[in-house]
Amino acid sequence: MLTRRPLVALSFALPALLLYSVIVIYPLFSGAYLSLTDSSGGPKADFVGLDNYVRLFGDGDVWDALRVTLLYAVVVVVFQNLFGLLLARGLYNRPRARKIVTAFVLLPSLVAPVMAAFIFSYIFAPEGALNSFLGAIGLDSLQRVWLGDPSTALFAVAAVNIWGFAGYSGIIYLAGYSAIDKDVLNAAAIDGASGFSRFRYIEWPLITPALTVNLALNVIGALRVFELPLVMTNGGPANSTTTITMLIYRNLFGSAGGFAYATALAVFFLLLVVVVAVTMTTLLRARERRMF
Amino acid sequence: MSHLVLRRLGDLGLIVGIAALVIPFIIALVIALRPAADVAADPLGFPTTLTLDNFFRTAQQLNYGRSLLNSTIFTVGSSIVIVIVGAMVSYPIARLARGWTNSLYRYFILGLTIPIFVLLAPLYLLFRDLHLLNTHIGTILIYSAMNLPIAVFFFSSFMRSVPVELEEAAALDGSGPYRTFFTIVFPLMRPIVATLAVTLVLSLWNDLIVPLIFMQGTDNRTVMSNAFALIDPRKADPTTLFPAALLGVAPLIIVFFILQRQIVDGIAAGAVK
Repeated sequence: MLTRRPLVALSFALPALLLYSVIVIYPLFSGAYLSLTDSSGGPKADFVGLDNYVRLFGDGDVWDALRVTLLYAVVVVVFQNLFGLLLARGLYNRPRARKIVTAFVLLPSLVAPVMAAFIFSYIFAPEGALNSFLGAIGLDSLQRVWLGDPSTALFAVAAVNIWGFAGYSGIIYLAGYSAIDKDVLNAAAIDGASGFSRFRYIEWPLITPALTVNLALNVIGALRVFELPLVMTNGGPANSTTTITMLIYRNLFGSAGGFAYATALAVFFLLLVVVVAVTMTTLLRARERRMF
Repeated sequence: MSHLVLRRLGDLGLIVGIAALVIPFIIALVIALRPAADVAADPLGFPTTLTLDNFFRTAQQLNYGRSLLNSTIFTVGSSIVIVIVGAMVSYPIARLARGWTNSLYRYFILGLTIPIFVLLAPLYLLFRDLHLLNTHIGTILIYSAMNLPIAVFFFSSFMRSVPVELEEAAALDGSGPYRTFFTIVFPLMRPIVATLAVTLVLSLWNDLIVPLIFMQGTDNRTVMSNAFALIDPRKADPTTLFPAALLGVAPLIIVFFILQRQIVDGIAAGAVK
């Protein structure tokens, strides 16, 4: 048994430990060092201290990208969860529809961001499906150059993300609903709870675990968004869809000498993700404790 | 009465919502199946003739077979490594309540919050020095290492729920620790392997950033990086865009319909804890 043979136990851990340490943890530290140099990818690199970080904090593009990333995350998380919840509630109350519909609801979450970007580039094109549809129902005034207008581009990209994963969130909420004891809902119905009050005071607290899972998945996922803006808008128009990940990518393989600066940006991005993740976990845990 | 009205409104909302999820697929499929000349004349017109020409032309233009092979190698190869190596490291974590196994668990879980973007530059330099750029094995190593945290997370909690008595009985019968692990413990992991595999296949198949940076050779591209390199959606015809998108999604949809139950259960499993 493992208990009496620590070396055997260690040998089980060794392959994973090696792989993970060399390819994830070591680059994490060498990257942090790289961000303190003026490396441009070549063999020559001088230590420059915090120069890259000083430049970063004075770089307007970084703050714009931060604003874009956070706005994107908020829009995606709010609407994806709202639609997911509505979908789950609708399907929970309609067991016969649920059987047929579940597979279709998950279909968009299989579509790679690159491929979803292809499909929606056409839907949002000036002569594309959305504008044709608006024209056909007499709403010509709502027609836009969706991806070419700085005021709509980010929301159009976010819409694709929401389309892709609202169903996925919905299935998680549906599982949360299915775990609720039927007697509780029946008792609530007998007591006359209905509509919004039933949702607010009975269902909402009981689907807490599903909410926690969804927020944990969505928030970090939305902060990391990369492919959709890359393929659909390449960060444009006027940088209105340039997220932090896009900025890192551009500095890494675009302008000369941006290599070390890109690493500083990446460290900044890691801190952002960690701060958001820790804050969110703390808040969600506190909320769960208050409820149970 | 008002209850019935609300119910009908709910029905309507649900139908609109599901239509919004499905209609983009229908638009893509219908346009992909219409002759290019018809689509150019009337993009959203009713299909009068159907053809598979767009698919053949796009597949050829994209060198689809080659990229399909690369994507499959990365997805399947990495998933196998992650499942085996991840299950192995989770064994002492789940079975030994020691200081070091606890630290080991935390060391891996740390990785759940590390975005790949932080590793791109240092990993690029490391792989250049190790001559692993543009190699299949290099990409499989990246995917495997990056996904070990989630494997440890899945396996270690599941292993704790499997009773230890079977292993003790096997040990009494003279079975060594490695044999016990691979013939008794690992086969019991089947449900969690299915869930993990589904998660992995979805994220590995759909990934763009790793092949984009670490597999730049024309013959080394995956379905995603190849489509990204060869098609600009702002300029391409819908009769190229849509077949390309559907060819990219098709393998996953086929797998999805075979494994539909496991996928839905797998997603749901996270929510109920």
